[in-house]
Amino acid sequence: MDETTAFALEGQRDATGARLGMWLFILSEILLFGGLFILYSAYRYKNPVDFHHASRELDVILGTLNTIILLTSSLSMAASIAAIQRSQRKLSMVLLIATMALGLFFLVNKGFEWGAKMEHGIYPNAPTLLARAKGEILFFGLYYVMTGLHGLHVLVGVCVLLVMLILLSKGKVRSTHFTPLENSGLYWHLVDIIWIFLYPLFYLIS
Amino acid sequence: MKPEEEVRKTRYQTYALVWVTLIILTGITLSAAGRELGGWTVLIALVIAGTKSGLVLNYFMHLRSERLTVFKVIIPLVLAVFLVFILLTFSDLAFRGGVK
Amino acid sequence: MTTTGAAESIRPRISFYENQGRHNGILAWILTQDHKRIGILYFIFVMAFFFSGVVLGFFMRLQMIAPGGAIMKPQTYNSLFTLHGIIMIFLVVIPAIPTIFGNFFLPIQIGARDVAFPRINLLSWWLYISGAAIVALSVFTGEGPPDTGWTFYTPYSLRTTVNVPLAVFGLFILGMSSILTGVNFVTTTHRLRAPGMTWHRLPLFVWAIYSTSWVQILATPVIGVTLALIMIERFFGVGVFDPAKGGDPILYQHMFWIYSHPATYIMILPAMGIVSDIIPVFARKKIFGYMAIAISGVAIAAVGSLVWGHHMFVSGQSDFAALLFSLLTFLVAIPSAIKVFNWVATLHKGSIVLEPPLLFCLAFIFLFSIGGLTGLIQGALAPNVHLHDTYWIPGHFHYIIFGGMGFGLFAAFHYWFPKMFGRMYNRKMAVWAWVIMLIGFNIFYFSMLLLGWEGMPRRYYDYLPQFRTLHLTATFGSWILVAGLIVMFANLFRGLFTGEKAKDNPWDASTLEWQIPSPPPTENFEEIPVIQRGPYDFKEFDQNG
Repeated sequence: MDETTAFALEGQRDATGARLGMWLFILSEILLFGGLFILYSAYRYKNPVDFHHASRELDVILGTLNTIILLTSSLSMAASIAAIQRSQRKLSMVLLIATMALGLFFLVNKGFEWGAKMEHGIYPNAPTLLARAKGEILFFGLYYVMTGLHGLHVLVGVCVLLVMLILLSKGKVRSTHFTPLENSGLYWHLVDIIWIFLYPLFYLIS
Repeated sequence: MKPEEEVRKTRYQTYALVWVTLIILTGITLSAAGRELGGWTVLIALVIAGTKSGLVLNYFMHLRSERLTVFKVIIPLVLAVFLVFILLTFSDLAFRGGVK
Repeated sequence: MTTTGAAESIRPRISFYENQGRHNGILAWILTQDHKRIGILYFIFVMAFFFSGVVLGFFMRLQMIAPGGAIMKPQTYNSLFTLHGIIMIFLVVIPAIPTIFGNFFLPIQIGARDVAFPRINLLSWWLYISGAAIVALSVFTGEGPPDTGWTFYTPYSLRTTVNVPLAVFGLFILGMSSILTGVNFVTTTHRLRAPGMTWHRLPLFVWAIYSTSWVQILATPVIGVTLALIMIERFFGVGVFDPAKGGDPILYQHMFWIYSHPATYIMILPAMGIVSDIIPVFARKKIFGYMAIAISGVAIAAVGSLVWGHHMFVSGQSDFAALLFSLLTFLVAIPSAIKVFNWVATLHKGSIVLEPPLLFCLAFIFLFSIGGLTGLIQGALAPNVHLHDTYWIPGHFHYIIFGGMGFGLFAAFHYWFPKMFGRMYNRKMAVWAWVIMLIGFNIFYFSMLLLGWEGMPRRYYDYLPQFRTLHLTATFGSWILVAGLIVMFANLFRGLFTGEKAKDNPWDASTLEWQIPSPPPTENFEEIPVIQRGPYDFKEFDQNG
């Protein structure tokens, strides 16, 4: 290993250590979703035509809009950290609020999407869905589970960012100590990356 | 442990450029989806998604500016682990009817 | 190494057991951020769950003592072996060494005052307790405990009306505890090593915990999502594992074993680390092949994550996959064998001191070898057809898990007891307990191997008369084993309260934990030491401390 052995300096914070811990947690999240991606690949391999058909029922425009929303929220998130590094606290808070707003916008869209599907009788165990081909049942099953788990992560992310906003306002997160914000940013970008893969695999396979 | 170290400051410009690239790549993957590409569809979609993720990891998540070995290793590691899981699972799924 | 020598004995010794924070009483323990207290908390509960697991096993063997034995209903027997598996695997064997001894000794062995994230460490313990409580709830509420086996295979686990979702939810919470502990230990090892403590000077126990922690981080999420899917499936009928909706039950088995096989390495690697630490001390000789042992641990973690399909040879997976998994299974035996050779080579021409810690390590080597060799037999495809789902399998895994990890755990008890509690147990009694356990263990589990060879199926509540002798022998062996366990724990328990006060370094060992008081003070070290030698460098240690 190339780093010199770390001194245990008393009372000093270890920003690198905190970041390392967050990255390791992110690895576990990647494998959490990874398990679902394994299931997706397996069932798509077995039911290529059914997946193709089912995908046509998803709203590409809404999906693309959500992709752009999340990508933009990643921009505002990264910029928020850049701002506090430069001691621009107000700008940092504004950018953070923008990130949260975009996150909520994403969730609202998802809510509409799900709502529309459910109205058409496309939801797990619905009679309409069960009457369809097996591959389509699986497609929508995976659709709800994966976008659902992802949405849950977005919601948690928004809550975490809210806490960060409060800490920023109180000066507990500042230019000399912004590790919590940085780590929250890592989590947020992860959520963005997961969607980067969900989008083409569910919306663009027709 | 050193006190809060100098994490290299990225310029706002860089972030904006990365964002533009991400949007462009999104457009590309969208248009590629509309075409008949047969078996290549998945591969192209994954390559583009991988590229977008790489940009987010390196620039938004600052992976590029991390110096310690452990940071450079973790993403390749998790990809390798995932790859192994999926390949070995497919060694079952793809050959259920016997090796042709 | 900075020596504190004579000054140490004059200064008043305040151990970590004295409350120094703002809490008192029980709060000072359940809200602690001290890694040593957290280790003790885990100790108490892991042992409590171990005892309940043993009791369940005892009743299982009672049912099986004779054919037609009817001390319980078949449904009860199904629940017993399910609970025995769940409790032993998820509440005892997977957590035990990392959470008790990893927590207590990892920071000290690297020269740190605590782990990287002390509050997350406390959270890990609370998640462990919560998960365990939820599993306990599944036993005593609703339609009763799961009857699926600890493997929860679909589609039965999706249809049985007992408390599968509750139990599985408890395990999900336990998984979160495990992941956070893994994150904590990896970060601690990277960031908190004392000056001079290079990777090449780390005790092998640290290497073992480090490798294990990576497996915890990378493998646990997969079972997390799989268990979540069982719950989602039962409540929403999504269909991913349900053949009626196009799901593939074999895919469930893949996802389940992708974690559960590496989990067996989470179980054994730390125990191997303990053996690697103990043997040099009681042979008073540097470990043979330090780097080989360190790297072989990493290799076991890596290759061991590729063999999960050997649980599924007769489930319906492709022949090609079966061949691949069998080959990989044979490969993973190699790094384990390397460790055994190196341990034996360390003992060779060493100054052997036959104390209880070493005795348990020797038993480990013997029992683990039998377990490993039987593993190779069942890892070969043709024998597996005959042996799968017979008593051979639990015979094999009890040799590895109980004979391996269990005896490694007992070795750790007898090695680190004086350090943790400042007292010594009765060594003669410990040896007696060891003898009794070894005899009982082999009578019990070797009988199982023979039963399986003869074709006795596992998880059956009754059997044909032809198996009666071996079953009677096995149950008899189980009683001897339990007697040995009682002697061992009674001895340790008594030592806790009335044992003679222990010296700071009763074994004359050279790793860092033995250079501080028994029990340690809260901050571990007066001053963070500067390391100038390897962990088993007895020549240097005898000269310069």
